[in-house]
Amino acid sequence: MIHFSRSLTRLLGELKKLPGVGDKTALRLAFHLLKSPDNLSALAESLLEVKAGVRFCSICFSITEADPCHLCSTERDSTTICVVEEPQDILAMERSRAFNGRYHVLHGALSPLNGITPSDLKIAELMQRLEKGSIREVLLATNFTVEGEATALYLTRLIKPLSIRVTRLAHGIPLGSDLEFVDAATVQRAVEGRSEL
Amino acid sequence: MQSIELDAVVLGVMDYGEADKIVTLFALEQGKLKGLARNAKKSRKRFGGALEPFARLRLQVTLKDGLSTLNGADVINVFPHIRTELGKISHAAYACELVEQLVAEGETNTRLFRLLTAYLEHLDRVPQDASDRRFFEANLLKVLGYQPELARCACCDGELAAMQQLRLAPSGTGILCGSCARTGRPVSSDTISLLIRSLSTGRFGLVRFPPEGLAEAGAILDAAIACHLTRPLKSLAFMEQVSC
Repeated sequence: MIHFSRSLTRLLGELKKLPGVGDKTALRLAFHLLKSPDNLSALAESLLEVKAGVRFCSICFSITEADPCHLCSTERDSTTICVVEEPQDILAMERSRAFNGRYHVLHGALSPLNGITPSDLKIAELMQRLEKGSIREVLLATNFTVEGEATALYLTRLIKPLSIRVTRLAHGIPLGSDLEFVDAATVQRAVEGRSEL
Repeated sequence: MQSIELDAVVLGVMDYGEADKIVTLFALEQGKLKGLARNAKKSRKRFGGALEPFARLRLQVTLKDGLSTLNGADVINVFPHIRTELGKISHAAYACELVEQLVAEGETNTRLFRLLTAYLEHLDRVPQDASDRRFFEANLLKVLGYQPELARCACCDGELAAMQQLRLAPSGTGILCGSCARTGRPVSSDTISLLIRSLSTGRFGLVRFPPEGLAEAGAILDAAIACHLTRPLKSLAFMEQVSC
């Protein structure tokens, strides 16, 4: 067994905590950083900067350095809110350039089997935003998993009585895919949600 | 090692590492087992969207001690209509968690598999009804050999059909006649009859409990189930919090 110095062992241990990083990758990354001290300093500084500066936006609960975040403070459609499970889902929505409203991050999804209940998510905060009265539509962009569907159904139940339009992302056959290779459940949903041309 | 095919219901799914999933299954041929689905979050080809709670799948599995390896899955039924109602999702999750909790790994139980799939199919087909949950629970206890004694007094062994002022035994494992119990939750003989009918009918939707009977049946069955649980059910707490 190879013994490294205490500081290198600690670095390897920290790197291995990252997703997708095992023993070999941690070792490769550590030696790469040791070979380039400038990169090592820059990485260490940026990590400390992120830790000190990044927080959740007090309005949408996305990740930001300035509060409110740029998505909440710039000129966008303030009558529509898109509800997503995680901050990275906002990136997917923004990449599409199809949505120009505001966002709300729940930080998870309801899960009966994992015991994640409404009080574990930012649902009360969403309802406070809606009760202010300027929102006309809520677009539910939670994942199309059982948990995502449960969350969307629960939110619909809460929001509908406020006379706010509730919409859900469409789902069906992915663009560019062959019908013969699509699973039966997706085809079933696509047929149910078919639209007239 | 040889890959075999299993007909199984997904009882639970847990993320493992960056792209893998650990799936708890209840299979017709093997009973409860856990399987590792490598790269399940990225591989649409092998698993698609199949590894979802309470989906019924035909799985290609390499059996191992402890954690088996899942090689692929074809969907038999994802019960799409369950996913359109919060109450149905909660009840399906509750049924799966009950099976997950009360069944030991590797114990084959064909009748329980048929009961679970019949309940999921029924939930998928018709509007959710609280009587169906109690029907499932009563039959689950029967199939597992945990059925509470409903025909005779748990203390004096007298026939309950001829007795009045019945009460739930404090241990939760049966019913007491009026002579053996002065305290405890009262239970009507009509509720006992409906529970006995639930155990003999064998088909969902044929037994309907009136509101007061539902509460009494709930008390009997909840107490009988609680005796065999090692931890509180998360899905039950969820059901209570979202009121469905």
